[in-house]
Amino acid sequence: MSEVLLALENVVAGYGRAAPVLRGLTVTVRAGEVVCLVGPNGAGKSTALKVASGLLTARSGRVLLSGKDVAGLSPQRLLGRGLAHVLQGHSVFREMTVAENVRLGGYTVRDQAVLNARIEAVKELFPVVAERWGSVAGLLSGGQQKQVEFARALMLEPAVVLLDEPSMGLDPRNTQIVFDQIDLMRGAGVAVLLVEQNARRALEMADVGCVLDLGRVHISGPARELAADPRLGRLYLGGVPSDRTAGDAARPRPPGPAF
Amino acid sequence: MRTASRGLPLLAAALAIAYPWLVPNYYLVYAGALTVMYAAMATSWNLLGGFTGYVSLGHSAFFGLGAYGTGLLVTRLDVPWALALPVSALLVTVFAVGVGVAAVRVRGASFVIVSIALVSMMNLVVQGWRSLTGGSTGLQVPSPFPDLHRGQTHMVFFHLFLVLLGLALLSWWYVSRSRFGAGLRAIREDEDKAESLGVPTAAYKVAAFALSALFVALAGGLYALWFGSLDPIFMFSILIGSYMVLMSLLGGVRHLYGPLLGALIVAPAGEYFLIALGETQVHLAATGVLLILVVLFMPEGILSRLTRRRPGPSIPEESAGQRLEGAAR
Repeated sequence: MSEVLLALENVVAGYGRAAPVLRGLTVTVRAGEVVCLVGPNGAGKSTALKVASGLLTARSGRVLLSGKDVAGLSPQRLLGRGLAHVLQGHSVFREMTVAENVRLGGYTVRDQAVLNARIEAVKELFPVVAERWGSVAGLLSGGQQKQVEFARALMLEPAVVLLDEPSMGLDPRNTQIVFDQIDLMRGAGVAVLLVEQNARRALEMADVGCVLDLGRVHISGPARELAADPRLGRLYLGGVPSDRTAGDAARPRPPGPAF
Repeated sequence: MRTASRGLPLLAAALAIAYPWLVPNYYLVYAGALTVMYAAMATSWNLLGGFTGYVSLGHSAFFGLGAYGTGLLVTRLDVPWALALPVSALLVTVFAVGVGVAAVRVRGASFVIVSIALVSMMNLVVQGWRSLTGGSTGLQVPSPFPDLHRGQTHMVFFHLFLVLLGLALLSWWYVSRSRFGAGLRAIREDEDKAESLGVPTAAYKVAAFALSALFVALAGGLYALWFGSLDPIFMFSILIGSYMVLMSLLGGVRHLYGPLLGALIVAPAGEYFLIALGETQVHLAATGVLLILVVLFMPEGILSRLTRRRPGPSIPEESAGQRLEGAAR
């Protein structure tokens, strides 16, 4: 079994003084493995990625990168240690060219020869990056922008990549391209922690699936088996997880937002 | 095309050097020197504003400090003007580093307010410190060229300002092609994202702030030697800072020659209003109206309008027909 590159252990985290979003989350990601977090809105999927990449500090629990506790380190430091985070939505530098965007991904690389070699590598991995090299990134389609983001994230040859809803806003064709690229990352030995609303599609390509509910892993296992698990459908279609009491579920909600 | 793009700046530079001999009177040389001075200052302002998006209305503080620094070194310490000028500018740059560390912690409107506060404070300090600066009476600086008559002095300073403009343009061009410039532009687009990619945003912003102050301070020093009379109300006027912003925005902050183009329009227009209408406040009102119009209708500036890149199709891979054809195969 390959080495565990990223591990979140009993992580409790939240925003400000509000109740925690993550309530004892434990997830591990191994080299060359895609772990997919799925779950309803508010389950804590994106929050888990933010804790892993240092954008949010855990209140308790441990974040281990290649076995070392990195809780509290800045995103910049974590990037230097081989962890890249591709944020939700489009996060290219819109007024810059594709070339400038990709080069910014390798901003901390001083050696020009190394930088050029990595540029060639990501161009090979993402043909659209090579094709649109001189184009202004903001003028590319959503799928193309996402690939530029992937290429930028891989410029430092990270061991772990966190992807937050990479297919958001993309049509089925571009979604397929994005999932193909994730597959290529896996093939290159990168550990991928993926958050997706497109749950069934993501679980079909992932190795391990984790269904999050109320800030902890509710069900986990081989992704393809999970995709076929009827509990997944029930959870998304408004069913209740088995560990909530029937009384909780039956109790009428007060008017107003659910959270 | 490439020959034209290389040849045009050289031709423009040759014309600019010859300008004092091409115009019929010394007034036009004076107006030309003033325009080139503003062009140098606006280009220098654009090292901060254009690259990082931080809009400083207080750059006249560095203009005033550069002028007073040069004037005081010459009058109080008998330092030769050619030495006083760079020493004063370097001192102002060091001061700008200190100010920058505090100022660039805030963004957007807050930064604009901090920059205005800076110029107001400098005005109060210089006016209040009468024993050193002469206070509101002003400071008289001896001419570095006492043997030349006024018109000839205008010619000399026209060329000195031209050298300064050349240096500012060269710096902007160099930064725009550098790793430092790429980091600054990333800051302009999304500072947090730039930081997360490893761009040392705080240090870069301070460096851009200080570099931008350097050339403005040199312009101030040259102005002190040229005019010989410094009045704190004018030297630390927010209007000078506003001119730098207006010229840069009008010409285009994303372009090397944007602030220069803006200066070539705004500075002569200001002189025209002054001659046509006398010492009224109309030129100030006109400046304000023009600034509002530019921000509302042409925030990218004239050069962006002229050189707008053709975007091309955003999803160019293939048409729906081609895709269907591919799927059928």
